[in-house]
Amino acid sequence: MFQYDFMQHAFIAGTLIAMMCGVIGVFIIARSLSFIAHTLSHIGFAGAAFSAYAGIDPLLGLLLFTIAGAVGVGQLGVRMYRRDASISVILSLALGLGILFLSLGNIQGNYSRTLLFGSVVGIDMQDIWQIVLITVFVLVVLAVGYRWLKFDSFDQVGAQSAGLPIRLISIGFLLLMAAATSVTVQIVGALLVFALMTVPAAAARFYTQSIFGMILISTLIAVLSVWFGLIAGYYTNAPISFFIVFFNAISYFFGMFFHRVRERRRVLAS
Amino acid sequence: MLRQLQIHQLQVRFNGEQILNDLSFKVAPGELFAIIGPNGAGKSTLLKSILGLIHPQQGDVSILGDHRKVIVGYVPQSRVIDDETPISASDFVSLGQISGFLPWLSRKEKKALNEIMQFTDTKRLANKPIGTLSGGERQRVFLAQALVRKPDLLLLDESTANLDPEAQIQMMELVKNAAKEWGVTALFICHDLQMVGTYADQVLLLSRQGYKTGHPEDILHDRELMTTVFHGSSSENDTIHHVPTESELPLAGFPQ
Ligand SMILES: Nc1ncnc2c1ncn2[C@@H]1O[C@H](COP(=O)(O)OP(=O)(O)O)[C@@H](O)[C@H]1O
Ligand SMILES: [Mg+2]
Repeated sequence: MFQYDFMQHAFIAGTLIAMMCGVIGVFIIARSLSFIAHTLSHIGFAGAAFSAYAGIDPLLGLLLFTIAGAVGVGQLGVRMYRRDASISVILSLALGLGILFLSLGNIQGNYSRTLLFGSVVGIDMQDIWQIVLITVFVLVVLAVGYRWLKFDSFDQVGAQSAGLPIRLISIGFLLLMAAATSVTVQIVGALLVFALMTVPAAAARFYTQSIFGMILISTLIAVLSVWFGLIAGYYTNAPISFFIVFFNAISYFFGMFFHRVRERRRVLAS
Repeated sequence: MLRQLQIHQLQVRFNGEQILNDLSFKVAPGELFAIIGPNGAGKSTLLKSILGLIHPQQGDVSILGDHRKVIVGYVPQSRVIDDETPISASDFVSLGQISGFLPWLSRKEKKALNEIMQFTDTKRLANKPIGTLSGGERQRVFLAQALVRKPDLLLLDESTANLDPEAQIQMMELVKNAAKEWGVTALFICHDLQMVGTYADQVLLLSRQGYKTGHPEDILHDRELMTTVFHGSSSENDTIHHVPTESELPLAGFPQ
């Protein structure tokens, strides 16, 4: 399988993206931003469709749209943007715009499918460099801002009391989500970015009570799911997205089961 | 060490409604300073003004320290912790360690964390999810988070409310020891006048009509004053039985 360049590329790109999604996901879950992640990926879809229509680099269009989306969502205010109604409107609008650009640009059905469902074939070296650049950037910012972000994500009242700039943290985090979404959409597709960004992190909460532990486990689950997806996809010709989501869902439900059993033991023991 | 905390002619209005009016007082270093008063008097507003979360319309708050910037630890009145919150008590305390930039804790920070958890008797809760802790345990964890940065000034907003008497005493003993061992100056809002009488060095009695500061005995034993301030506020049941419920008295001896 590794004799093919495209599989090598897919593994490199997939691993990097999975690591980034695993880490950022822990904060997305803690900040209750799953739905925003979902929305940003649809905004990304519109951006990619726009790129195809306008004939620019897909990543450029993706970044342009998702960053504008993140700033827009940020303007709704820290509390407001957790409200579903206005976000649903933005999500539908993005989807509609994406469809419009695809039809205006007379884009082939193939490419539309790639945007929605993802594709690992045809990742070239230039794509890999883009992915390396953005994932490293996102991970470095997360590492440097870790303590502030962690405080604000897990105890907002405490963070505000300690004088942290919570508005800056909020907007900064949305921008990171925008960047992360932009590269992830290209590989797993707009519809499933959400799965890779939130399910591993949600599953990780069942296995550990330590924040750092959650990050490690979430990253592990995300990376394994992508590897599983690539390998299973290679041998079966079924879409890799299916296998990625399948693996993540299994991790989640197994975690839930594991958690229940442990809770019951704890209650029985006391 | 805190050198001084001085509140000078503080005025806070919300939507044109005067909450704090010309409030002035000083707190000495290492002191346990209690703030009492009926609901809605502006006690929480006062602590938030000291923290800088609220910008007063007039007056100022001056907090001066010895050499470095004064660190303020604050335990807010309302902090909703979802029972499902999976993070451990020790991670929750460690959230307060924000001075470093490395993602992991330095040896010194680990030591400080350990020390604070020992001090607040939260060591044995270290690995328990914060959502599963009792009210008293949570308050001690919140206190530990505020203390882990080694604050010079500690602000506690009703940290002993809803605790059983034993847990209340335990909290107050911790605050007292923090003051004794590290010279922390503490301002605490408290509705239990017995606690205030036992632990406070100074008391600020705050109401919408005015305020008064003084020694606990002078304030708590001034029945006329206490009745005037607390009379008729139905949600202060726990304080009323410390105060004779005589007929309403005029605002005698009450500035403004
Ligand atoms: N951010 C705010 N905006 C408008 N009104 C407020 C705000 N915070 C407090 N208040 C009002 O100020 C008054 C004092 O509140 P507070 O300081 O919380 O009282 P206490 O802590 O003494 O019970 C209350 O009437 C409250 O409704
Ligand atoms: Mg209050």
